[in-house]
Amino acid sequence: MEHNKNKIISFYQRTGRMPTYAELMGIYGFKSKNSVFKLVKKMAEENFLHKDGQGRLLPGKLFKEIRILGLVEAGFPSAAEEELADTMSLDEYLVKNREATFMLRVKGESMKDAGIMNGDMVLVERNTTPKDGQIVIAEVDGEWTIKYLRSQGKKPYLEPANKKFRPIYPESELKIAAVVKAVVRKY
Amino acid sequence: MLNLHSFTQAILHIDGDCFFAACEVAKNPALRGKPVITGAERGIVSSLSYEAKARGVTRAMRLSEVRRICPDAVILPSDYETYSLYSVRMFNIVRRYTPEVEEYSIDECFADLTGLQRPLNMSYEKIAAAIKRDLDSELGITFSVGLAPSKVLAKVASKWQKPSGLTIIPGNQIQVFLKDLAVEKIWGIGPKTSAYLNKLGIKTAYDFACQDEQWVKSKLTKPHQEIWQELRGEAVYVVDNERKSDYKSISKTKTFTPASNKSSYVFSQLSKNIENACIKARRHRLETKKIFIFLKSNDFRYYGLEAKLDCPTAVPTEIIKIAKENFNQIFDEKKAFRATGVILMDLAEAHSPQLDIFGHVARVQRLFKIFASVDGLAQKYGKHTLFTGSSFEAMTARTHQGERGEKSERQSNLFRGETFRRHLSLPFLGEAV
Repeated sequence: MEHNKNKIISFYQRTGRMPTYAELMGIYGFKSKNSVFKLVKKMAEENFLHKDGQGRLLPGKLFKEIRILGLVEAGFPSAAEEELADTMSLDEYLVKNREATFMLRVKGESMKDAGIMNGDMVLVERNTTPKDGQIVIAEVDGEWTIKYLRSQGKKPYLEPANKKFRPIYPESELKIAAVVKAVVRKY
Repeated sequence: MLNLHSFTQAILHIDGDCFFAACEVAKNPALRGKPVITGAERGIVSSLSYEAKARGVTRAMRLSEVRRICPDAVILPSDYETYSLYSVRMFNIVRRYTPEVEEYSIDECFADLTGLQRPLNMSYEKIAAAIKRDLDSELGITFSVGLAPSKVLAKVASKWQKPSGLTIIPGNQIQVFLKDLAVEKIWGIGPKTSAYLNKLGIKTAYDFACQDEQWVKSKLTKPHQEIWQELRGEAVYVVDNERKSDYKSISKTKTFTPASNKSSYVFSQLSKNIENACIKARRHRLETKKIFIFLKSNDFRYYGLEAKLDCPTAVPTEIIKIAKENFNQIFDEKKAFRATGVILMDLAEAHSPQLDIFGHVARVQRLFKIFASVDGLAQKYGKHTLFTGSSFEAMTARTHQGERGEKSERQSNLFRGETFRRHLSLPFLGEAV
């Protein structure tokens, strides 16, 4: 089939038009137009070519592959804008909802084993429902605290990532202000 | 009258509740429920929490007075950087719903929701509620929201229930809201007009709205006729969604303590203000043709004068030169001054000027290039990396000595990589243990 298609392509390149059925008989060495019809039908099904209202042939996706090859041969001109359109800045990577994102500085060692150290910057998002196991910013005794959110049965509590600290079980409601989305440490 | 289709126009007014004080409380949960006041660096109250209001503190009250009537008040220096970050976020959140947002002030905006029910698939009431929910939950401070058929009524609505109210005035319920509202409480009606209206027997906004057109036209001027229309639910004022980019004038003024009668120091303060005003003008590609400079003395009196420039400019050295020539007309070393200021007037878009035969314009153009580089350096290394010699004393001195020299936490608690001048553009909530 590829061989047959190539014959049409070279005819088209040579003459600038599609062959007639009679010409195809000659090209393929067929004895009847009927055989040509069958072949054309198959090629039409593959969108290689089309028939117009009067049954004459029109080019379909004759040269699509060739065009692509041409592009590859030419090589990539430069770091195209289009390619870079799909990259993101570090800012976009770290901050999803800009309006709801805030930063805090970590004080102390209570989250050491989670890799969050004294002096680290954390980026937090308000307006997200905290899930069990996430690191959150909660308000405890008028202070922000950064801990894992855990739950015992239905009761949520705060768990540090350092054996030297104790979990915090809230007396009444646990006030969670934000969910930690990123830790940034600049050296 | 006053019985319209419920929303011919749907205008939203959004007002941050005790905005500056609320931003402070949002940073520091220990402040919740306490009388919080901002403005420590100015010596007067600039914003106060409801708790402070309940104790009798008012805006612009002197801090010494505050300490007397409310000794446990938490008095904080203003952190305008943080307030501005919250402000921009506020407008951005509202713009998620409608492009027509008018940034009325740092903590207030109007939004036009007309026609958005179908595209957003929500009623006006639901849109207003959704905007309020996003604002409150994402920013962690509360807003009062009013929805009405006109801007004046939207203002009435947002004030109706504070803090954290959501008040809706449909066209057919206008009278309920205006019935007991004194005329002087209407946005745009000053004390003189309200006294005049009172004389005519009009006490409430409802009385005013009920007058017929002929009466209003014969008794009042155009601006007040428009307010009358707005009160009746006929929107006259449009929501102006032009971002504030064209300024008619730019002014910069700064108070410093202690007050000074040293000529060179006071002039350097003025010079610094001129530089700052020019930075802003250049950022908006504007040039000034006329300036007004003023000094404020310790007894709160102003001394100022106006000066014209040979050709429009945003180059500070040109303006400083003019200011220097005229400074002695307003400065008096027998007085101590506490503030200086400059207003750039007759602003016009910067364009290539006509050359004059004396080469003056060409020289200013060269200077303009120099200051373009100054701006470039500021971009890279922070504001005032390079400044004129005449501003030296003001640039190197602390603006406020003693208690009022207190820096906001944001200024004194920097992250590695931040400089004194340039900070990360995210609000800082402080420390978490």
